[in-house]
Amino acid sequence: MSEPTATQDLIKGADEPAVNVGEVQDSRRSLWRDTWDILKRRKIFWISLVLLIMFLLMAAFPSLFTHKDPEYATLAKSMEGPSSEAWFGYDLQGRDVYARAVYGARTSIIVGVLATLATVLIGGLTGVLAAYFGRWLDAIVSRVGEMLLGLPYVLGAIIILGTIAPAQSNPSKTTIMAVVIIVLALLGWPIVMRIARSAVIQAKHQDYVQAARALGAGPLRIIFKHLLPNSLAPILVYATITVGSYISAEATLSLLGIGLRPPVISWGIAIADHTSYMRTGAHALLFPAAFLSLCVLTFVMLGEAVRDALDPKLR
Amino acid sequence: MGRYAIRRLLQLVPVVLGTTFIINYMVWQLPGDPFAGRCGQRPCPDAYVTAMREQFGLDQPILVQYWNFLKNLLTGNLGVDFNNVSVASQLADAWPITIRLALMAVAFEAIIGIGAGVLSGLKRGGFADNVVTISTLFLLSLPIFVTGYVLQWVLGVQVGVIEPTVSEEARVSELVVPALVLASLNMAFTARLTRTSIVENLRADYVRTAVAKGLTNRRVVGIHLLRNSLIPVLTFLGTEVGNMMSGAIITEGIFNIHGIGGLMWRAINGQDYTIVVPVATLLVLVYLITNLLVDLLYGVLDPRIRYE
Repeated sequence: MSEPTATQDLIKGADEPAVNVGEVQDSRRSLWRDTWDILKRRKIFWISLVLLIMFLLMAAFPSLFTHKDPEYATLAKSMEGPSSEAWFGYDLQGRDVYARAVYGARTSIIVGVLATLATVLIGGLTGVLAAYFGRWLDAIVSRVGEMLLGLPYVLGAIIILGTIAPAQSNPSKTTIMAVVIIVLALLGWPIVMRIARSAVIQAKHQDYVQAARALGAGPLRIIFKHLLPNSLAPILVYATITVGSYISAEATLSLLGIGLRPPVISWGIAIADHTSYMRTGAHALLFPAAFLSLCVLTFVMLGEAVRDALDPKLR
Repeated sequence: MGRYAIRRLLQLVPVVLGTTFIINYMVWQLPGDPFAGRCGQRPCPDAYVTAMREQFGLDQPILVQYWNFLKNLLTGNLGVDFNNVSVASQLADAWPITIRLALMAVAFEAIIGIGAGVLSGLKRGGFADNVVTISTLFLLSLPIFVTGYVLQWVLGVQVGVIEPTVSEEARVSELVVPALVLASLNMAFTARLTRTSIVENLRADYVRTAVAKGLTNRRVVGIHLLRNSLIPVLTFLGTEVGNMMSGAIITEGIFNIHGIGGLMWRAINGQDYTIVVPVATLLVLVYLITNLLVDLLYGVLDPRIRYE
């Protein structure tokens, strides 16, 4: 990045629209190209990528993995253990545990990905704006963030969800998923805000930003073309790992009875339903737990691989 | 230092007021009847709801309610729950158990986490390093309740080494497995943090000087390297003590421990907000105060850090 040509390209890119900027990004020394070069040599990246594709397929086309109906219940088979007919056995209602685990992937991934997306959008936007405009906006955003971070995560979610969707209530499928996503994002955005804010504060006084401003670029252009790309790498790393932790948070809340609830099919609910039957049928609890852990593991591994590739300190 | 402490303390005030107000507002003011489901299957009679609203001060404006709440909190008067049992006495019964559990968990984190981190950091890329990296990866992706239920099932139901649930007194020997479960996630973080810190400091000039002076390996690692590497680890452990108290909600629920977390778990399931609000407030206070103490301690441990 330090060659004079690259810098000149950047300055040129400031007064001419997108075409030149695109060229710089595509040039061989770009951050993303570097990252990819490192990533493709890492075994952990390929393992997590294969697992990720498997889970995404499972979420999009569950019928590829099982031909059974997850809602079909035979009470006579309640809590029957694993057999050749049903590999993971049957749950309390006599439903196929494997089919329900496969269909559960969709809920968990939708909640994890959408909540992360919302977190990144809210956090990134407020962080960049707070750092760029400073003064009272920065003060307000920072204080509100501090307040929300002052609530321990599980506790905060419990308080909010316990009030707007208490265990006894019976909201519809989409409502409860939306509520859980909003609550996760509401409590999570301050961390992204801090990452984006510090990245922008560092970049704000760099020469290339001054140069862009001197060339007459407005705040919007400076933010989106010059400041935002700088905070993208740390936010991306955080976001990947966050998908995993949100999936695990969703399951925790569902376990407490205040997150998702039937008729939604989710790993957390499957686990919650069978906690009292550990002696007689642990399979109904352990198999969904295994799916859940593997899915979280996938995102954590992917996040670590991306972080190692993006963080020059660890090279 | 003194000025910094005072400034931090003053900064804490709006955060405390804000969070406690959010808790109060969320629990009591949002749409939804706090007394729903208190009368079995049928809706509660109006007379009951009016009486309850009056008893818990819900008929007053929100700011008056909040003011009363703060006044009661400062004078230590936590009131009674929906069953007319004193909240303060329930808390007094539950605190010692949770503190015991949290202290044991921190001890596990410190001993196992730092041990594993030092082992892997000193021989980067070696066998121990690989084992630690992979096992921490797995620990990081296991949600706490999965670890809890699996250990309860394996050790309690299958092998029978422990009782699956903890008795009323919650003896230390019974709390070992729950404390390990509570510590599991942070243990992995501690190990990784220690490893990074050791790896970074191994390249530092003072370590090279110590080696060049001809000091034994033991002395270099034990005195020079560890002292400097453990500062961020200690602050992490400190911050997590506060966080752990709310993590205990899940662990205590699984093992049926009658601590703060268990109290909260039952209060949520029974929708008894008179317990949820004071317990949540106390947990937040503990969390914020430990964070403040850790920040101040940082300057004492690492004299290079100047607050101004």
